[in-house]
Amino acid sequence: MMTNLVIIVLSAIFINNYVLSKFLGICPFLGVSKKLNQAVGMSLAVIFVMLIATAVTWPIQTYLLTPNGLDYLQTIVFILVIASLVQLVEIILKRYIPSLHKSLGVYLPLITTNCAVLGVAILNIDEGYTFVESMINSFGSGVGFFLAMVMFSGVRSKLEGADVPKAFQGLPITLVAASITSMSFLGFSGVIDNLFA
Amino acid sequence: MMNKRQNFLKGIVKENPVLILVLGTCPTLAVSTSVTSALGMGAAATIVLLCSNIVISALRRVIPDKVRIPCYIVLIAGFVTMVQMLVKAFAPALDDALGIYLPLIVVNCIILGRAEMFASKNKVIDSAVDALGMGVGFTLALLLMATIREILGNGTWMGMEIPVLADNNISIMTMAPGGFLVFGILMAVVNKLTGGKGSKKSFGCAGCPSAELCGKASCEDKDKEAQ
Amino acid sequence: MKNTFKDIVKPVLVLGCICLAVTAALAFINSVTAPIIEEASRKEAEEAMTEVLSEADAFTEITVENAPETVTEIYCADNGEGYVFMLTAKGYGGDMDLICGVKQDGTIEACKTLSHSETSGLGSKTAEDAYRNQYIGKTSDTLDSVDSISGATISSTAYKGAIEDALEAFEMIKEAE
Repeated sequence: MMTNLVIIVLSAIFINNYVLSKFLGICPFLGVSKKLNQAVGMSLAVIFVMLIATAVTWPIQTYLLTPNGLDYLQTIVFILVIASLVQLVEIILKRYIPSLHKSLGVYLPLITTNCAVLGVAILNIDEGYTFVESMINSFGSGVGFFLAMVMFSGVRSKLEGADVPKAFQGLPITLVAASITSMSFLGFSGVIDNLFA
Repeated sequence: MMNKRQNFLKGIVKENPVLILVLGTCPTLAVSTSVTSALGMGAAATIVLLCSNIVISALRRVIPDKVRIPCYIVLIAGFVTMVQMLVKAFAPALDDALGIYLPLIVVNCIILGRAEMFASKNKVIDSAVDALGMGVGFTLALLLMATIREILGNGTWMGMEIPVLADNNISIMTMAPGGFLVFGILMAVVNKLTGGKGSKKSFGCAGCPSAELCGKASCEDKDKEAQ
Repeated sequence: MKNTFKDIVKPVLVLGCICLAVTAALAFINSVTAPIIEEASRKEAEEAMTEVLSEADAFTEITVENAPETVTEIYCADNGEGYVFMLTAKGYGGDMDLICGVKQDGTIEACKTLSHSETSGLGSKTAEDAYRNQYIGKTSDTLDSVDSISGATISSTAYKGAIEDALEAFEMIKEAE
């Protein structure tokens, strides 16, 4: 049981990294990774929203949609739930924890249309995870996103001063750097499943 | 009002959603491992885009401004689910190939972006033409990426083996790093061809539906830097 | 009064109507496509099973106590030709789903990869005919002679291990009889 959860969390962070191997959440990855503090703020908001989104969508799917044969409404229900949840969290944070709202609040609306959050909610169902496994997987995916963002913002700060050919300036060289970063993550595949074998 | 032909062509070249506007990067990188799945993804997204643009344009006077984004999301999610069910029923192999990226068309910025930027302000026919242009532009960009990645990475094109290359494939091209690399090089080529004017230097936020909200966060200073 | 209608009632009403209309349309399409999807997936599963156990006519799912974890489902051929095992092995890149047909005398008729996420060009070779055909006619005693794919030890070991588990489950069925 414990090993299973450890495998789930480690695979979510390293092997099936949402950004670097599943290409989910590329928009914030390229858009908000320029400065370290923004990257950290965005990723923390993503971890947070992924966790509450899973906590809400998993019971909805298991106790509401599947027993009633309404599986086909999954996409539409999930996106609506996530969108309203994000709104709700923003209002609550603003009202009760203004300091947290100040640091995370600006990133919250961005996350509504972030495919990583909807992706984790749907993948948890597709993989047939239990509630605990789903939460662990969401946490791992969020941490994986965090790791990729923070690492990549480091890489990008090095790019600032680099002498890049004119055509490659801006987005192209960022993508090439992302390619090399994701290459380094390839080294993890095969390690974790066999760590406990 | 620009004519229909220009309206259609702008989606393919001048405002190509992937290569110029830099929207919908996630599916572009993810499904461009093979030409077949790229075509499937392009077709599915085009159908959703066409339907959502037509309906949203037709309802543009009915939908109150306050709830327009939730309305668009519901409509788009509805069309995505319909396409998903039809694909599952009639092309199960495509469903396997696209996997999670099929339902994720919902959050594809191209679709919500076109609804917000074009369909909500223009007539039904113009919106339909715009959707077709953008859809074809998206499909062509995907096709280009997939062709490069499949030929180099697998030595095949739509499953057909290409002599010499099939025995000397660079398999990393079909893996994640290859996706980023090919996309980066394509963007550089676009930059070169347009003299750096066509493509944005920075990551595009203008087409993103949450751009105004996002402006508070990071896009604002990024856009400033870009100028 | 007029403003309350315009600001609150109308948006809610419109959004509600759109939700209802979309749900109705989805329910309709679902009622049309659901039977087709079910039929297609049943047919696909059956085709895969007949491919690895060609003599069988129809299949019934059975359960075996304490079968290895790799074995997810077991089907018994109705005409007693043998058994089909659905296997999930931990490969290099993630889960590998395999299907293996074992004849009544304990020899493997065929096995096949249903889905995998192994490295293309290395571990992915386990899905190719050259590798999987090695298993044809093997029993638990002769399984050792299957050659691994060089450069893809983990994928090959996982594949072979899963097939071993299928044969072990087969032995359990035989003992129970």
